Amino acid sequence: VSIYHYHAPILAIFPAEIARPSHTFDPVESTLALDPNKLTRQLMSPSLLQRIASGDSAAVRECIDQYGGLVWSIARRLSRTPSDAEDATQEIFLDIWRSASRFDASQGSDKVFIAMIARRRLIDRLRKTSAEPPMDPVEALEAVAWADPGTASETSIEAEQATRALAELRPEQRQVLELGLLHGLSQSEIATRLSMPLGTVKSFMRRGLIKVRELMNVEAEGVGARL
Amino acid sequence: MTEQPQNQPDEALVDLLIKQATEGLSAAEQRTLDALDSAVASAYARDLERAAAAIALAGSTDAPKLPAEFAQRLAQQADAHFAGAAAAGNAIAAGSASGADRKIVDLEAARAAASAARVQPRPLSRTSVIGWFAAAACLVLAVLGWMRTPQAPIESVVQVPPVVAPIEKPLPLTPAEERAALLAKSDSLKITLGATKDPGSTGMSGDVVWDPATQRGYIHFTGLLANNPAVHQYQIWIFDGGRDKRYPVDGGVFDVPANTTEVVIPIRAALMVLKPAAFAVTVEKPGGVVVSGREHVVALGAAG
Repeated sequence: VSIYHYHAPILAIFPAEIARPSHTFDPVESTLALDPNKLTRQLMSPSLLQRIASGDSAAVRECIDQYGGLVWSIARRLSRTPSDAEDATQEIFLDIWRSASRFDASQGSDKVFIAMIARRRLIDRLRKTSAEPPMDPVEALEAVAWADPGTASETSIEAEQATRALAELRPEQRQVLELGLLHGLSQSEIATRLSMPLGTVKSFMRRGLIKVRELMNVEAEGVGARL
Repeated sequence: MTEQPQNQPDEALVDLLIKQATEGLSAAEQRTLDALDSAVASAYARDLERAAAAIALAGSTDAPKLPAEFAQRLAQQADAHFAGAAAAGNAIAAGSASGADRKIVDLEAARAAASAARVQPRPLSRTSVIGWFAAAACLVLAVLGWMRTPQAPIESVVQVPPVVAPIEKPLPLTPAEERAALLAKSDSLKITLGATKDPGSTGMSGDVVWDPATQRGYIHFTGLLANNPAVHQYQIWIFDGGRDKRYPVDGGVFDVPANTTEVVIPIRAALMVLKPAAFAVTVEKPGGVVVSGREHVVALGAAG
C-alpha cells in the first residue's frame, strides 16, 4: 500500500518560463532561428548511427559515451528498480546496434531515433511485467528540467520543438504528458492520480502529442524549403 | 457527417496510435490496430512516436553520466554483438553455395576462423575471447539450424538469433569488500552516522556509503546493540531531497546478531533515490514498517 499521495501544485512542477502562456509559436520566426549551415553540415556528414551501420567500431564507443546518459536517464525513469534499468539499458543498446542501418537522417536526429528505440523497449518491458506503475507518484514532485529552447547546441532540434509545443499547452495538459511520457504512467493511472476523468486525460494526451507532432512537421518542412 | 481527410486516420485509430506511442497496446488492441492499419496509419504512428520521444528528450536535460563500469560492460556487449553479426554475415555469404555444400562451407568458415586464431599467437584480450566465443556459437547455431531444415530457404540460415556473449560479472564480493570498493569511488557519498538520545544508540558508531549512480550503498556499525529479530528489527531510512521529507524511503531491515561488534549491511532502497540527503536507523517491529513512528531513532546522519 503506497503511503504517498500526489499533491504537487501544478505550477511548482513547471518552470515559470514554460508555464507562461504568452509564448506563441511562429513557424517563420522559428525556422529563421535555425542555422541552415549547421543543418546542412548535419545532413551531409554521416551521422553516428550511419557510421555504426557501416561497421565503424569507434562510432560504437562514441555512441555509448554520447547517448549512454540519455538512455540511462530514460530507463531509470521508466523502470521499477535500478537493476531493471540496467537490464533495460543493455537491451536498448542491443536494439540500437541492430537498428542503426534503418536510421534515416531525413526523418530526425540520432538522438530522437535513440530515444524512440529506448521508449519502445521500455514500454514493451513495462507491459510484459506487472500492471504496477514504474515509480512512486511522489517522483513526480521532482521538477522536470524541460529543455530550454534557447540552448540549441545542448539539445536536439526535436527537443526544442517539443518544448515550444509544450509551452503552448495548458499546465494541466503538460502535467498529463509529463506523467505519461516522462514517468511512465498509463492514462488510467494518470486519471486516478489526478482525480481526472479518463476521457479528459486521453484528450489532453492526444492534444499535446498531436500539437508536438504538427510543430515538428511544420518546422521540418520549413527547414527543408530553406535548404 | 464530416468526411475524414485522406491523410488523417480516423478517431478510433488515432486513439489507438496515441496509446501505442505512449504506453503500448494490449494484445487485443494490437489486433484491432493490425486490422485497421494502413500506410497513412503507419506514417502517423511513426510521427506520434517521434513526438513522444521528443517530449521525453525535452524532459531529460538532466541526464546523468553513465557509470564508467557500466559503460565498459556495454562496450563489451557491443563487441560481442558485432563479432556475432560478422560471423552471421559469413554464414549468409556461405548460403550462396547450394544444397549440401552449404554445411561444408559453414564448417570451412569455422575452420578458417580457428586457423586465423592460430596464426595470431598473441594473447587474446577478454574482449577478443568474448568475440570469438560469439562467432563460434553463431556458426554452430547456423549449422544446426541448417541441419534441422535442409530444404529451408537461405533466409533460415540468416535468421540465427543474435548471439550475445554473457556479460561478465565479477565474482560476488562480500558486503565488506563491496563497501570498501564504494568507499574508494570518488563520486560515492560518505556520511558519518551520529548517536541520538535513544538508549539503543549508546556506544555505537556508524557510517554510510552510497553510490547515487548505481543506487547501491552500505551501512556500517560498530557497537550497535544486538537485537532479537522475533521482537524488534533495525530499519534503514533514506531521506530524499527530491521527495516529501515526511516520507523517507525504506532502506530495508537488518539484525545485529549477538556477540557481534561490527556489521556491514547492504541498503535496499525500495524506491530510486534521487537526492540522498540523510540516512537514519530506527528500531521497529519485525519486518519493518511503512511509516515509522520514530520513537526509537538510534542513528542519524546528513549529507555534507
